[in-house]
Amino acid sequence: MKRVAITGIGVVSPLGHSAAEVFEAARAGRSGIARLDAPFAHRLAAPLAATVQFDGADHFDPPKLRMLDRVSQFALVAAGRAVADAGQALAGVPPHRAGVFVGTGMGGSLSMDEGYQTLYGEQSDRIKPFMVLTGMHNAPAAWIGMAHGLSGPNLTYSTACSSSAVAIGEAWLRVARGDVDVALAGGAEAPLSFGSLKAWEALKTLATPDERDPSASCKPFAKNRSGMVLGEGAAMLVLESWESAVQRGAAIHGELLGCGLFTDTGHITRPSVEGQAAALQAALASAGIDADEVDAINAHGTGTPANDGVESAAIRAVFGARAARIPISATKALHGHLLGATSALECVLSLMAMKHSVALPTMHLHEADVQCDLDYVPNTAREGVALRTMLSSSFAFGGTNAVLAFRVAE
Amino acid sequence: MTSTFDRLCAILAKDYKLESSQLTLDAPLESLGIDSLGVADLLFNLEDEFGIVLPPEPVQLVTLGDVAGFLDGLLAAKLSLAQAGNEAAAASLPVAPSSLSSSSLPTPQL
Repeated sequence: MKRVAITGIGVVSPLGHSAAEVFEAARAGRSGIARLDAPFAHRLAAPLAATVQFDGADHFDPPKLRMLDRVSQFALVAAGRAVADAGQALAGVPPHRAGVFVGTGMGGSLSMDEGYQTLYGEQSDRIKPFMVLTGMHNAPAAWIGMAHGLSGPNLTYSTACSSSAVAIGEAWLRVARGDVDVALAGGAEAPLSFGSLKAWEALKTLATPDERDPSASCKPFAKNRSGMVLGEGAAMLVLESWESAVQRGAAIHGELLGCGLFTDTGHITRPSVEGQAAALQAALASAGIDADEVDAINAHGTGTPANDGVESAAIRAVFGARAARIPISATKALHGHLLGATSALECVLSLMAMKHSVALPTMHLHEADVQCDLDYVPNTAREGVALRTMLSSSFAFGGTNAVLAFRVAE
Repeated sequence: MTSTFDRLCAILAKDYKLESSQLTLDAPLESLGIDSLGVADLLFNLEDEFGIVLPPEPVQLVTLGDVAGFLDGLLAAKLSLAQAGNEAAAASLPVAPSSLSSSSLPTPQL
């Protein structure tokens, strides 16, 4: 197996539009969550979201824009940024040796929502001709492949909240095995339609707005946590073999060591300590590292009552007495839950945390839940922490638990 | 009275952000960023704008002039139908879903 380098990062997110911007926001504890400004906001129990400052017209000509759901716009812009950041990663690579691996939980749900509004709301029988193209889950990956002429595997992964961890893990495998020379991998999500928000609301997973500060509504690991806040955005990585990255003198953001998968089969939504612990163990095995080597964890840390206690117990099960000394960051408190894009964004934050030796804070954590008894780096970033190896966890409805392992570039 | 071509150009300037200098009778749609799939989307909007109903038969439209001519034909047919004392029929021709989803669109590869 080849070592795999991450040589390009592209971001479109509630915390900013580059790796540096999202890292600085997370380090400073600046939240991208706010009251949702939308015509339907008054019909939501908790009108909160982490939105992206983004106008597709700034990036695409009108005829093209009409064919792109917001999720594909995010994906294309993030991929373009990642490719630009990676320098000449694609130069001289035969098109069939470059692949695209994208995670998305809800695909073109905004377009579908708009189409159904036409049919059911307006009682019109006329649907826009592009609804299939804008709505299909594989559109973001397809557009990326077309934009950059990548003819290798073009694959879309939809495993809810772990979609982009799975996509990045699968891309890692292809590059490590030598199946492809370069992979564009990450996730994109644009779930902030009325229909989607109501569906998540109905599932009782969303946070109650914080009365004093709506931007502080998502409180991972806190006693008073009440749920997650949906966010939108995309993050894409360029992966290539370590050898090729060094050979061409590329700036390397970090090394992707492996990906562990373990699927919970007990319940469609309820997480299990055993399932999460097994995914963490699988990541260690995939990366070929010992538990003692893990310096920090980017937690799944949704801020839902169900996840955070289970996740803490799973970390304790894997790391034993050392668990309480591992800095654990839940950055969803700031960028929200980007569903199929969240793992990719958290990868970016993990890479930057290692690069800058900063354990990122878990914000809005003033009193930890009794079940949450680990070191969550509450409310203030911890500077000067040598982070050589990190894990980033993603646990999904449907049970597909995925954990990625990284190492600082060395 | 504004010509069909002028009305078409106004729509393209507004919805497609095209410059008036680009909008000539012989301008190929492809050169304006509107490919065969884009034409389907354009015609969908023009049905609303011009109050017309597309025929089920497939149509080949290459230039802006082709589109204007095609619209003129449909508008004339609508007018003659109305003049024949059949205003009700002219105003409320049903839009059969099949005429939009299949025959009037370029066949996509599935």
